Amino acid sequence: MKAKQQRQIFYIVPYGIWLLLFVIAPLMLMLFQSFTTSNGHFTLGNYGAYFGSGTYLRMTFNSVWYAFLITVITLVISYPTAYLLNQLKQKQFWLLLVILPTWINLLLKTYAFIGLLSKTGTVNSFISFWGVAPQQLLFSDWSFLLVAAYIEIPFMILPIFNSLAEIDPRLSQASHDLGANKWQTLRYVIFPLSMPGVKAGIQAVFIPSLSLFMITRLIGGNRVITLGTAIEEHFLVTQNWQLGSTIGVILIVAMIVTMILTRDRVRKNIRK
Amino acid sequence: MKGKFKWSNLYLVFVFVLLYLPIFFLIVYSFNAGDVMQGWDGFSWKHYVELFVDTRILEIVVNTFLVALLSSLLASIIGTAGALFIYNQHNQLIKNIFLSLNNILLVSPDVIIGASFLILFTVIGFTLGFTSVLLSHIAFSIPIVVLMVLPRLQEMNPSLVTAAKDLGANNWQMLARVVLPVISPGILAGFFMAFTYSLDDFAVTFFVTGNGFSTLSVEIYSRARQGVSLEINALSAMMFLVSLLLVLVYYVISKRSSKGKKRAGTRLVMPATEGL
Amino acid sequence: MSEKQVPIIAFNQVDLSFGDTHVLNNIDLEIETGKFYTLLGPSGSGKSTILKLISGQLTADSGDILFEGKRVNNVPAEKRKVNTVFQNYALFPNMNVFDNVAFGPTLKGMNKTEIKNKVKSMLDLVKLGDFSERDIDELSGGQQQRVAIARALANDPEVLLLDEPLSALDYKLRKSMQYELREIQQRLGITFVFVTHDQEEALAMSDWIFVMNDGVIQQNGSPEDIYDEPINHFVADFIGESNIVDGIMKQDYVVHFVGKDFENVDAGMRTNERVEVVLRPEDLDLTTIENGKLIVTIEDQSFRGDYYEITAIDDDGNEWQVQATNSATMGARVGLTFDPEDIHIMRFNESEDDFDARLESYEDDDES
Repeated sequence: MKAKQQRQIFYIVPYGIWLLLFVIAPLMLMLFQSFTTSNGHFTLGNYGAYFGSGTYLRMTFNSVWYAFLITVITLVISYPTAYLLNQLKQKQFWLLLVILPTWINLLLKTYAFIGLLSKTGTVNSFISFWGVAPQQLLFSDWSFLLVAAYIEIPFMILPIFNSLAEIDPRLSQASHDLGANKWQTLRYVIFPLSMPGVKAGIQAVFIPSLSLFMITRLIGGNRVITLGTAIEEHFLVTQNWQLGSTIGVILIVAMIVTMILTRDRVRKNIRK
Repeated sequence: MKGKFKWSNLYLVFVFVLLYLPIFFLIVYSFNAGDVMQGWDGFSWKHYVELFVDTRILEIVVNTFLVALLSSLLASIIGTAGALFIYNQHNQLIKNIFLSLNNILLVSPDVIIGASFLILFTVIGFTLGFTSVLLSHIAFSIPIVVLMVLPRLQEMNPSLVTAAKDLGANNWQMLARVVLPVISPGILAGFFMAFTYSLDDFAVTFFVTGNGFSTLSVEIYSRARQGVSLEINALSAMMFLVSLLLVLVYYVISKRSSKGKKRAGTRLVMPATEGL
Repeated sequence: MSEKQVPIIAFNQVDLSFGDTHVLNNIDLEIETGKFYTLLGPSGSGKSTILKLISGQLTADSGDILFEGKRVNNVPAEKRKVNTVFQNYALFPNMNVFDNVAFGPTLKGMNKTEIKNKVKSMLDLVKLGDFSERDIDELSGGQQQRVAIARALANDPEVLLLDEPLSALDYKLRKSMQYELREIQQRLGITFVFVTHDQEEALAMSDWIFVMNDGVIQQNGSPEDIYDEPINHFVADFIGESNIVDGIMKQDYVVHFVGKDFENVDAGMRTNERVEVVLRPEDLDLTTIENGKLIVTIEDQSFRGDYYEITAIDDDGNEWQVQATNSATMGARVGLTFDPEDIHIMRFNESEDDFDARLESYEDDDES
């Protein structure tokens, strides 16, 4: 028994220090900051400023709206991809090819889009070849959505693929056997059973999308302001950490709400 | 039946083209004799030559890999200890609390991690620079290692430990001779994941790096805003090769380590959506 | 088998390979309406493959699969009038019992009341009337089995295919399900095609058995035919217990084995043809040395509840399994006796058609 306790202490010391210092302390500090003035006095003013300002509320709405659009676009592209990949013979290999781009530095990929989309870039040369005048593709909502969705697609495909792969192939055989065609089988059997993967994918895409700031800056050209951009600005540009922390806390709350909404409930509760 | 099948393949081809287009675009232009990512002025190695004489960028590459290597090594050690602690914890409530705390950094947006670490370092009066970046990378890599190691522990036959005790092994011997060898595939997978998380990170580093220290992501970010040199493309091409190599190594490891459970290997092969 | 009726399912020289493995080799079979058929064989023999070809989960490389005389090779599974009870049941975990059973009828576009009635009658048929609101994971293996049967039958199939449905159940449950399945089949009067590797199960349930090995139908016939007249070594060994020794057919009704001539009831072979001789353990009796047709030494015995299983060795070194009601003395030399009709002769490489023709010819001889 004593040996076991010794062992546990040996394990908990480094891990516990990490938990305290890098998980609990930063979050507490952020929460604390959000309730203080720049002189360190307690205040609700930061939250007042946030909720009293049309700009912040609009920004929050924008963030949620863009994150929603990114999630929907990603899901629409990823679900069929995951479904079709799952039917291939060498599916693990193809999945790896989906994952591979995520191992390339994110900045490099974003940077590639700057070249592709700029006014004199490849896409414009291509469309001008067809007689269309060059467009400003960068710094638009669409380019922002495109790049964000591009970055997120693998993170949506992967969990959906995994949950599809877990479905017993005999279930779709049984469905066909009972008279369902491909579409009905997908609709009534495969899709409901892949919901855990879809939810995990939504979590993996929606939460980071709420706080995008690098892509908004490089591709969206500051046209798209999200919670992430605001936090970055308050911390690194205007140095108003208190308000930055307030927005951070709100982002955390939004994250928790998303987690709860997409949580995999115990199956019994799903039943009508 | 056959026609339909082809349509679905066409769709997959479209998705893969979309996924790889930007990457190949970068690589192709790294060989452009011209200086911008448009038009085509002929083939040239000149950007690779520029890259190899640009001491600043080379130093940053070395820094980036150094941070990745050190942080993933340390995170593997601490994360394994954490996984062992959680595994040995028999009180279900405490176990769940630790698991939830462990996962906080995994699901938190990077901006939050970066900003809250920035507050932390400032409050305790820590100078921003190499060490703060390293500590941050260790911090966000630990939960990944825990998540990769725990399933290995749970799959481990508990009678192995009992048998080792029965044969008179002490704590240290049991850990070194019995437990660690069994869970080593998980630790290795965790190490690799942590390594790529670190290489890929932008947002957290961006918050906690000082003026003197930069990693590749941060450097590209600042250069991309000023207008970029194709040197960066040359670097991308080389990074792509390195990533390809890492993927292959990881693939071989996860294939070997998860003979029975194919999924286990690929389940968490998701570098964080860091830095978006 | 009546001649006029078109078989509900027929296979005509069906071949199937997976890569280099020949899974089915030139399969011919006919299945009639209203009977209980069993495909029996060891794993890998191709029996489940036949089921999958009937249901449409697999497509044959060559040959015809006929349903009521019409070729259905390229008809997709959902358009075939057969339904399957899958091994491990394949119930939809996202639906409760009711929705599982209602799956087929709903797709057919039945209205709500019809569906309700259909599901109720099906669940009553499998004695799960009170379980319709249960979730699948709340059911025991036996109950899941019943839901799977109800779900398949709810589509009013003309043929029900059952792919080793009882293999996951414990012994007692398996026994009672055997009776129940047989009863359901007789009540509904539809065709059942049942796949199993358990010979006892096949003998107990079937009207007709196809014995399979290595992708080939070795023998088909009623359970009695197959037990009493196995066509070859494989069938004799796979169905029940057998003592098989080499012999020579001296002439019709005389076989020579273990150094002696024996009177028997088989005929139609060439003179002095090398054959295999089968004697079932339950047909052998221990007796005194004087009365014995063979002299053996008792090697081993074990008590099996309703009989003793005795292993004895003759002077040529052949091993004999005997089922006896009384125990024997270990190491004792005793006689072994049997009747001429207990001897069954098998020729090497005799096709099923030749086997049937030969049986008919000398049985006619007997009558004339």
